[in-house]
Amino acid sequence: MMLMPEVLTILILNFIFALFAIAAFVLSVKIYFNWNSNSTSQTQYSLEKKSFLAATIIKYIFAIKVPLFIFFIFTLDKISNLLTGAMCAAGVVDATQEGTYLIVLKIINIYLFSLWLKLHSEDMKERNQPYTKLKFGFFIVLFFLLIIELILEGFMFSSIEIDKMLSCCGTIYSSSAISNISTIFSFNNTTILSLFYGNYLLIAVFYFLKNRYLFALSNLIFIVVSLVTLIVFFGTYIYELPSHHCPFCFLQSDYNYIGYIIYLTLFLGTFYGLVIGIIRESEKNYYISMLFNSFYVIFLTLITIIYYIKNGVWL
Amino acid sequence: MIELKNIKKIYELGKNNIVTALDNINLNITEGELVILKGVSGSGKSSILSLIAALSKPSSGEVLVDTERVSKLPDNFASDFRRDKIGFIFQKYNLIGTMSVKENIILPLVPMNLDEEEIENKLQRVLNMFHIGHKKDQLVRNLSGGEQQRVAIARASINNPKIILADEPTANLDEKLSLHFIDIIKELKSEGKSIIIATHDPLFFGLDIVDREIEIHKGKVF
Repeated sequence: MMLMPEVLTILILNFIFALFAIAAFVLSVKIYFNWNSNSTSQTQYSLEKKSFLAATIIKYIFAIKVPLFIFFIFTLDKISNLLTGAMCAAGVVDATQEGTYLIVLKIINIYLFSLWLKLHSEDMKERNQPYTKLKFGFFIVLFFLLIIELILEGFMFSSIEIDKMLSCCGTIYSSSAISNISTIFSFNNTTILSLFYGNYLLIAVFYFLKNRYLFALSNLIFIVVSLVTLIVFFGTYIYELPSHHCPFCFLQSDYNYIGYIIYLTLFLGTFYGLVIGIIRESEKNYYISMLFNSFYVIFLTLITIIYYIKNGVWL
Repeated sequence: MIELKNIKKIYELGKNNIVTALDNINLNITEGELVILKGVSGSGKSSILSLIAALSKPSSGEVLVDTERVSKLPDNFASDFRRDKIGFIFQKYNLIGTMSVKENIILPLVPMNLDEEEIENKLQRVLNMFHIGHKKDQLVRNLSGGEQQRVAIARASINNPKIILADEPTANLDEKLSLHFIDIIKELKSEGKSIIIATHDPLFFGLDIVDREIEIHKGKVF
């Protein structure tokens, strides 16, 4: 498994990321604990030079790491063809102890790494670089999350057993599954859809009220609510199968890679929503967040309605 | 207008090779002043010009231009500062030989997204001022040293900067062309620009247009 070109690519990249991240971490610690933007001392000028180097290293690690998630999912999908029982990435994720934790950590990291990139971009727009200390302090925390992710990824790929019988996504994402995932199927459709559209309505209300913190909070909740709704309700309309709930299968060519559009719009909408609360309020960020969240909601709603018009039944 | 406070500039050329180019420099240059920085090669004159233009940062201390701490500016803002306020005439002119006179002169305007008419007006002003209009379509590499220098001055002046910095401007010129350069400097001074010239050319010493001569020796002001 480790010798698959895609897996090797990921592992080699991880090794490079780790090396550069360690260098950036050492610099970040020095910068964070000694930074004084008003000082004109030799130490401060030296830190200012180092801050450009460290920020550039971190920027490139994260700028590559974030889109690499798509390649990771693509690789899991490819691996699933080699494993007995696995029909998509879900089976591969479930094949090892680390899989589920890794996916959850990766999703959290995507948001955090992107927030760092946004924070850095905002910092570089100002003459006095107001976020420098904050962004290096933030990286010190992110460094550990990055390293944990890289270690988990290494363990996951090394512990996949090619001759082990695996569960398919139909078994993993079902109400009868013996896992934490099965608990989300205890919600009925009315509850889950009320939560989903109610949450979206809240986002819209806070968008018009321009309440940055509540807007960000409702976006944060929307990440979880959307993923659950997608698995429990909307997924079945994408697959046109009442019992199929997999959040990975629609990333495959059989479904025209529609999942990438769904996840990308959800990510952009909620990410810019979080930026407003955490980093900076701006009309542009409000607009981008609202635009992508609306696209996400309308897109999934249309898929459901079109199914109903075509077939005359709800699933 | 220009203030250097407790400036120290150290170049680390290797592990055990540290050169102190400037040592505790304090300078004040007012608006419209013409200042000559004189001293032998390696005395630290060029380092002072680089610091004022935010081309480099001090090891400690601060540089203020119009009360803005330019020594603390991040690189992207330092570029904006240079574009708006500084005209720099380099010893070797730093022109692009494969481009025409006109193209070299309007280079600082490229990032400003000005319309063609405005660019043409600014170009005509400096072409007339420095008498190089007849050469505007020629490649810079085909020009004489004196002509190249006038192109360099025109490029430094096209944004109408408040500050002109010149680093050994007459080092590659004969006496006649050096005197012509001094005439150009007179004209720039009459426009109210602050001018700082780093030179060891005796032609500049004792000139009536010079407000102050500052001796730099081994990185210190005398």
